Amino acid sequence: MSTDDAIRLTHVAKSFSGHQAVKDLSLAVPRGSVFGLLGPNGAGKTTTLRMVMDILAPDAGTIEILGAPAGPGSRDRVGYMPEERGLYPRMVLDEQLLFMAEIKGTTRREAARRLPAWLERLGLADWAKKRVNELSKGMQQKAQFIATVLHEPQVLILDEPMSGLDPVGMDNMRNVLLDLKRQGTTLVLSSHQMETVERLCDRVALIDRGEKLLDGAVSDVKKEHGKNTLVLAFDGDGSFLASAPGVANVTDFGRYVEVRMTEGADPQILLREAAARLRVSRFEIVEPSLHDIFVERVTANAKAVA
Amino acid sequence: MSRLWPIVRREYLERVRSKAFIIATVLGPVLMGGLMVIPVLVAGKAGKPLRLAVLDDSGTLAAPVEAQLTKLRRDDNPRFVIEPPPLGSPETRERELKAAVIEGRLDGYLHLPADSLQKASASYFGKNVSNMIDLRMMEDAVSDTLVGLRLTGAGLDPVKVRDLTKKVDLKTIRLTAEGEREDRGAAALFSITLLMMLYTTVLMWGQAVLTGVIEEKSNRVVEVIVSAVPSTKLMAGKLLGVGAVGLTQFLVWVLSLAGVSLAGASVAAGSAARMPEVSPLLLGAFVLYFLLGYLLYSALFAAVGASVNTTQEAQSLAFPVFMPLVVGVMFFPMVLNSPDSTLSTVLSLIPLLTPLLMFLRITVLVPPMWQIALSIALTGASIAGVLWVAARIYRVGILMYGKRPTFPEILRWVRTR
Repeated sequence: MSTDDAIRLTHVAKSFSGHQAVKDLSLAVPRGSVFGLLGPNGAGKTTTLRMVMDILAPDAGTIEILGAPAGPGSRDRVGYMPEERGLYPRMVLDEQLLFMAEIKGTTRREAARRLPAWLERLGLADWAKKRVNELSKGMQQKAQFIATVLHEPQVLILDEPMSGLDPVGMDNMRNVLLDLKRQGTTLVLSSHQMETVERLCDRVALIDRGEKLLDGAVSDVKKEHGKNTLVLAFDGDGSFLASAPGVANVTDFGRYVEVRMTEGADPQILLREAAARLRVSRFEIVEPSLHDIFVERVTANAKAVA
Repeated sequence: MSRLWPIVRREYLERVRSKAFIIATVLGPVLMGGLMVIPVLVAGKAGKPLRLAVLDDSGTLAAPVEAQLTKLRRDDNPRFVIEPPPLGSPETRERELKAAVIEGRLDGYLHLPADSLQKASASYFGKNVSNMIDLRMMEDAVSDTLVGLRLTGAGLDPVKVRDLTKKVDLKTIRLTAEGEREDRGAAALFSITLLMMLYTTVLMWGQAVLTGVIEEKSNRVVEVIVSAVPSTKLMAGKLLGVGAVGLTQFLVWVLSLAGVSLAGASVAAGSAARMPEVSPLLLGAFVLYFLLGYLLYSALFAAVGASVNTTQEAQSLAFPVFMPLVVGVMFFPMVLNSPDSTLSTVLSLIPLLTPLLMFLRITVLVPPMWQIALSIALTGASIAGVLWVAARIYRVGILMYGKRPTFPEILRWVRTR
């Protein structure tokens, strides 16, 4: 049943004057999920999101939003915060936010009724009558968010929602997003902040060079990438680890190292080796982080293409 | 339609509320009025009378010329005060007079050579020789005196001859369907003023569209807007909103003009320099051709704005766009002189020139109805075409950042689906 998906892309392709930005991309974002859209810079994320928003038309394939083809009719049901933020700098904040809701089909009166609660929630109530260019970067970020949600969309697409926010602002934003999820809003987050994605998203897709590298529930993705990552904390010179048998990659985090083993290698062998040469204070087999999966898959893809 | 309205309203309110608009709207007519009134007031004030001396080599002409000059009046005051010339040889007298002029004791002197009666020649030496009105009076005075003396010499009565050879004072009366009115050059001045107003406002509001598009693009707000409404609606809303601001400005101007005219009419009643009347027909034509010109040019400006990243980049592309407006202004003397010539007719039917030149023709001599209708139809069709092309450039251009596109690239944008 297609209506179970908030967004569904089927064999979508888009190219610009010879450059293929998106190739045969199929994706499904289930209703009510928090979906992480990952990919390196230039992977085709923004182009994909613009096609979902009907700003660009795909060359091939179909896009459905909440069961209906993407088009003028679907725009109002989706809120989109692009990576490049944009507000009219000389416009008064509340005027601006009402305008943004109006062009999304909400009446001015209804938008005005909803606005105070949002301003209050994001700490902008005292700034409602200020011009946008008088606001700090973080406040503009929050204002942009209100502009995206004031028309109460069923699907919310946020490109780097946390950028520009301090830790308190980030926590606040996370709570706002979780509240929206509880109310049934489908969230699509495009971000390079893997920590944010890991904490919030229940599903992810990784795209690179216009193609999907992986897609699925976060837990499945991690399982699929095996139990071959271990965390090791120790005293002594650990430089031998990188060339030890069965080790694919070592990432030094300063206080500990993360070691990825090659397929089928036994971590116990490495533990014995390490115990013989170092004072080991921590040894733990962990799930790979999304960060590691991202780096591994994108690097492998770059090698495969080259 | 419901999505268009907020965009039109935003464009309109943000501009009308701005200080720049209020200043331009209030100051525009004040400045324009000042520019027209102040020179007249200044030119009318003649200042102190001129102190003159007459250096007469013949010895017989000085007295009648001086008599004629002292009779001349300006602003009900004698215009020329005649100082006695110094004595001595012709050379010393001339040297002394020159010194007097340089030192400011005299404003100037007239030199009548010995043969000036025969050759009708005289010279004026003065520090200021650009006071046209005074010089003209002086020339007429000397000329009248010399002619009078020659007539008397030939045995004729100067007064009688003058009566008999009185020149025709050609009054120009403009005939219109509404009636007739005397007109002494004011009509031409009025046409030029309206033409310049039309030129300025079309250019000004066209440029406002240009900078508006560039600002939206550089603030990146455009992507947020087009994720809500199609780019064509954004462009349409912008053109309508800015156009409405232009019309608001006219309305303010027309109302203040009407106010001034009403107030002025009682004061200036009976005055010879009557303001040419602004007929409702002319006003309607002005608004119509403003809208035609504005839509045509602002659509082009919108396309230019979408293709560039900064105002600086826009300059080089904007010039060819408003070039035809400049050309239109350059053609005005020709069209004004022969508004019904084939060339004027053809030029005024070229859509890019129509807004200025057809309107100019209407101010001078209302062209045949079919020509007006044709000009509206042709310009309307061009606007539709330009809007279509501009909307396609706009749609792609507003999301393009970085390198400025080449002309072939822009053409490709027009062709893309």
